Amino acid sequence: MNLASLLSKDRIILSLKPGKKEKVIEDLVYAIKEGTDAELIVSTLLKREELGSTGIGKGIAIPHCRSLAVDKLEIAVGRTTKPMKFNAIDKKPVSLIFLIVAPPQDPGNQYLITLGKIVQIAKVLTKKKLISKPNTPDEFITLINQVEKDLKKRN
Amino acid sequence: MSSEIVEMHLKLLFDLDNLLNDIDEPKYKKIGFKVEQEEKQSLIRTRNALLKKLPRDMADVYERLKERYQRAIAPVDKGFCFGCFQRLPTELLTQTKGMITCPNCGRILYWRKK
Repeated sequence: MNLASLLSKDRIILSLKPGKKEKVIEDLVYAIKEGTDAELIVSTLLKREELGSTGIGKGIAIPHCRSLAVDKLEIAVGRTTKPMKFNAIDKKPVSLIFLIVAPPQDPGNQYLITLGKIVQIAKVLTKKKLISKPNTPDEFITLINQVEKDLKKRN
Repeated sequence: MSSEIVEMHLKLLFDLDNLLNDIDEPKYKKIGFKVEQEEKQSLIRTRNALLKKLPRDMADVYERLKERYQRAIAPVDKGFCFGCFQRLPTELLTQTKGMITCPNCGRILYWRKK
């Protein structure tokens, strides 16, 4: 399973309006689900943020949770038009957000594997200053695919 | 309290319990997400408060099932309980009211919105 195959064009928002962390998380969740399902996911994600920010540093955040509201791993990506506060571990603002929601029953623990993969890819994106490169969701998916292939070769 | 609010509390309680399980996973810590004990305790207090908001019988069943299976709620998919993977009786699939449990494993069943 590769990350690029889990991404879908309509869930990649490359001109996300920066704002309060809660609002931005909500905007990304609504790209995945709506109604009470979305409310449940937002509540769980915000509880996760209370445990410590998922802003992993260098401009990237990965809010994540499991929720009964989904039946498969769902990912939304947002790149904000300006860096925004996320209480990240390095205290720096964030501009790329990968939001992951996984079902509770998850054969092979795909959730944690994907989460680990995103952290790895995110580090490459920041190190090589690639975050601002893609202009379209298609380009973003192609970039992730390429980074993933490079990582695979390296390992 | 309306049944919709009870259902929302129950689902959030379940999601928070899954969160508590995940943060203790060695794999999770290895990825780099560390949670301090103080924050974890605060989350436990939140889930306990949610549990108190549920009707007593539901809260008791939930806790008993959580103790037994770790995950007290199982989604229903294509007529199967996704806790024990047994096919559910047809008459159960048409029930819409109250807390419905799997006749085989006892888990609380949850139908996802399509």
